[in-house]
Amino acid sequence: MPNQGSKNKRNIVLVSAILLLSLSLMTWNVKQEKGTRFLDSIAGIILSPVQIFFTHTIQSASDSINHYFFLVNVARQNDQLKLEVKRLINEKNQFIEHLARQKRLAKLMANEEDWERKTLVATVIGRDATQWSKVVFINKGTQDGVTDHLALITDAGVIGQVIHAGINTSKVLLIVDGRSAVDALFQRSRVSGVVVGMGDDECQLKFVSNTADVKVGDLVLSSGLGGIFPKGLIIGKVSKVFKKKQGLFQEITLIPGSDLSRLEEVLVLLP
Amino acid sequence: MYYFSQALVAIFLFSAQTTWLELFSFGGVTPDLILVWVVYCGVRFSRAGGIGAGIALGLIQDSLSGGLLGVNTLSKGLIAYFFSTLKDKFFVQGVIPIGIFLVCSSIFDGLVFYFSMGTILKGEVASSFLYQLLPVYSIYNALIGPFMFMILDRIDCWVQPNKSNFYMGTIR
Repeated sequence: MPNQGSKNKRNIVLVSAILLLSLSLMTWNVKQEKGTRFLDSIAGIILSPVQIFFTHTIQSASDSINHYFFLVNVARQNDQLKLEVKRLINEKNQFIEHLARQKRLAKLMANEEDWERKTLVATVIGRDATQWSKVVFINKGTQDGVTDHLALITDAGVIGQVIHAGINTSKVLLIVDGRSAVDALFQRSRVSGVVVGMGDDECQLKFVSNTADVKVGDLVLSSGLGGIFPKGLIIGKVSKVFKKKQGLFQEITLIPGSDLSRLEEVLVLLP
Repeated sequence: MYYFSQALVAIFLFSAQTTWLELFSFGGVTPDLILVWVVYCGVRFSRAGGIGAGIALGLIQDSLSGGLLGVNTLSKGLIAYFFSTLKDKFFVQGVIPIGIFLVCSSIFDGLVFYFSMGTILKGEVASSFLYQLLPVYSIYNALIGPFMFMILDRIDCWVQPNKSNFYMGTIR
């Protein structure tokens, strides 16, 4: 039976070991940008098939539920007809889903010729495993030509950049994450600033002078500085403007152009 | 068989956390299944096993998130340590004690992120984090926790039928 002294010592050793391990990992991660590559890749390889399965199942279930309501009235006619209609409706759902996907892809690809870079269509297969980071996983990795620091967009605008390209999946930091910063300018006034994420569903546009002409509804575009996002991509729209009586800069809130909570297909801008 | 079942539970929970759990978000907040599992491991496993599971789950969660590597290892490791140590000193059975433990764990987990974001990463955190997101997150985890404990108890009971001391008291 261990006495109180040795118990206390053991507790101190255990807590110290946890702290030491965590702090070593943090230091390793901060000092060496590629520190998490191995762990990320392993986790990605193991989980991505299940993530893809869940994502497809949810999409199919959601399609079935949506279309079931259209089916109710028809199904009352008779059993045979009901079955037939069900079969046809299911078939139709598949076509509608294909059509919707094709439309989304066509929209995505519409401006491809205007860009200097080639693009790659990717599907979002998962989200961050914690509450706090705004990160998504896509089903393309280094074997598809994806590398770190590539921009991702939808037809509605910029969504983020690749922060880690694994073998068959990649991790994407969304523009609403607290660590994201994109150099930007207003389409109307051409005043520049930096769009930073706030960790929720909105961004802030920082370093815009108090004297600059900014209105709610102004469109904010990427400026092309920084080398990741090409110039002229939509980032979002101004939703709130607050001019402080004292201080150099305005407080400007943006709503991202793309709905980042409902991402399905995205375009990766290849180098 | 036991370790295989735990690996399957891990794959299921991590996949759920990163895919369809978003459908159940409330005010932009989803429950943290991994946190609940870490608390379960802390009270259910031996001391070394609980702490080891907490650290391992935190490390996997770190690699599946965009945050700083080590933040979840730290918070989950310490949460597992606290519950491994405190389980002999407190009554940890029933919905209310488990709910209270989960609220405390969630607040601790959120604060570790908050301070790491503010100090090491120098990133922005929403102003509503402390008074809105964190309370909702804690309550959500506390609500889902007892239900998850019951399911995990059942899995354990099925895999290890001879082992007793289940935490929701609804087995057999």
